[in-house]
Amino acid sequence: MKRTLEKLVPVTRLGKFFGNEDFDLDIDMGQEWLEGDMNFTVVLYRIDRYKTKKDDVYGEVLEDGIQFMAPIELKGLVQVMAPTNKLYGSSKVEIQEPGNLKFSIYQKQLDDLGVDIWMGDYLGYYETESKVRYYSISDDGYVVSDTKHTYGGYKPFYRTIVATYVSPDEFNGL
Amino acid sequence: MPLPRTIVKPTLPLVPKKVLSERREQLLEYIKDDGTYLPKSVLHADLDKGMLEFVKDKLKVVTSGKIVPLLDIIITTQNWSQYLETWKFVDIDYNPTPPFITVVRTPEVKYGTNPSLQYTIPNRKQFYYASVPTWNGNEQGMDIYTIPQPVPVDITYNVKIICNRMRELNQLNKIVMQTFSSKQAYTFIKGQYIPIILANISDESQLSMESRKYYVQNYEFTMLGYLIDEEEFEVKPAIQRVTQLIEMNTAPRKKRIDKYPKNPDNFETPFLFVSGNTSLTDVIEFSSNMNLLSTSNVDTFDVYINNDYYGSDLQKIEITTNDILTIEVTKNDNTEESNILYENKLI
Repeated sequence: MKRTLEKLVPVTRLGKFFGNEDFDLDIDMGQEWLEGDMNFTVVLYRIDRYKTKKDDVYGEVLEDGIQFMAPIELKGLVQVMAPTNKLYGSSKVEIQEPGNLKFSIYQKQLDDLGVDIWMGDYLGYYETESKVRYYSISDDGYVVSDTKHTYGGYKPFYRTIVATYVSPDEFNGL
Repeated sequence: MPLPRTIVKPTLPLVPKKVLSERREQLLEYIKDDGTYLPKSVLHADLDKGMLEFVKDKLKVVTSGKIVPLLDIIITTQNWSQYLETWKFVDIDYNPTPPFITVVRTPEVKYGTNPSLQYTIPNRKQFYYASVPTWNGNEQGMDIYTIPQPVPVDITYNVKIICNRMRELNQLNKIVMQTFSSKQAYTFIKGQYIPIILANISDESQLSMESRKYYVQNYEFTMLGYLIDEEEFEVKPAIQRVTQLIEMNTAPRKKRIDKYPKNPDNFETPFLFVSGNTSLTDVIEFSSNMNLLSTSNVDTFDVYINNDYYGSDLQKIEITTNDILTIEVTKNDNTEESNILYENKLI
């Protein structure tokens, strides 16, 4: 659920040489480049938190109990971090842990689609035609108050989402 | 209402369980089963395999109707990557997929703390183990089998569960606690019960926000094992029963004539002069020194050798083979017999 103020206050920062129309134009051009030219696509699997069957004590999903809303394709800037070699604890079981997925998306796209992204949702990213990797959102980037996420300090305009690799035991697509 | 899942006594056993000495004999049969009279070697690899089987059988975790798989090898520095290629529970990256259980052995194996085996017998002394009958077609015998005292070892194993759900942790924890409620449990290795002690439980879960989260819980077990090396066994032959066949001549044999003198070195020669006789002559068949031992009813006597006078009342006569010895005696009483006794000592 989106938390907004009931009373709207116009933003007048940079008002002498920049305004809302300029901001919207730049965002449109940026979306045209990112979503039209680049066209990096991820699939968002949103968890239906009301219909999902959970454990009463731990809140863990029961076997095949997780329920999803309809998947949504999102366009954004995708960065996949390098994998790391590590062990499961001190078990000597070696794994090559795939790197996190960092996904930046225009807030306007989410607003147009009427969706939001929450921690715990899953993302699917097709690396090839036949190979898809799933990630669990560990940072939904909801807080965009930092200057980096604003357009020159005018208004926030994108979100950065960090998702970590999930094993097929946890999620393996629908 | 909870109902018991297992019926304690569904049937009466037709064969009662063995106790006391019969049970001990049964355990000995387990040790000798399918082999020789000697126990089989129990070495490091056998102990490791026994631990794996213990985890597989006694610590089996079932959640949501599925068995949590066990990596059925001891992970070492070499075999993991090769093993992954054949393992079923891997994802698209060939990483093992939680949940699973793995057994890690600490490489160092320390001298054991099992009190029944500690420093009791020095110098690998051999002890009697069994007497084994032997038969090679001709000879029946016994071999004595001896073995030295087993060497105690403590091996530390870490049984780790890697999973994504708390209920899988709970399930394994419940099974471990129930199994080790008496502190120790036993694994069965080549007919021998080896105790395992629960030493410690720790958590190595990865709960970082910026990486994948999963649970890793570690159960540290100490196996109070011992090493039995069949290279140290010794087999020694004991008594043997030999069949000997001897051919005997059953024809009647001639009576053996006693040779005179029976004692070739020292024997007596009596000279008996019956009543009315005062002279005796004899051919001596040996060389000796004759010493007078005694006389009876003798006044004097004269000695002739080869008809030559030799002397009278001689205490010692030196005589050689084929000499003709003549003794003439003067009796005290001619109506009685006289005796002269000489002792011969062969030269």
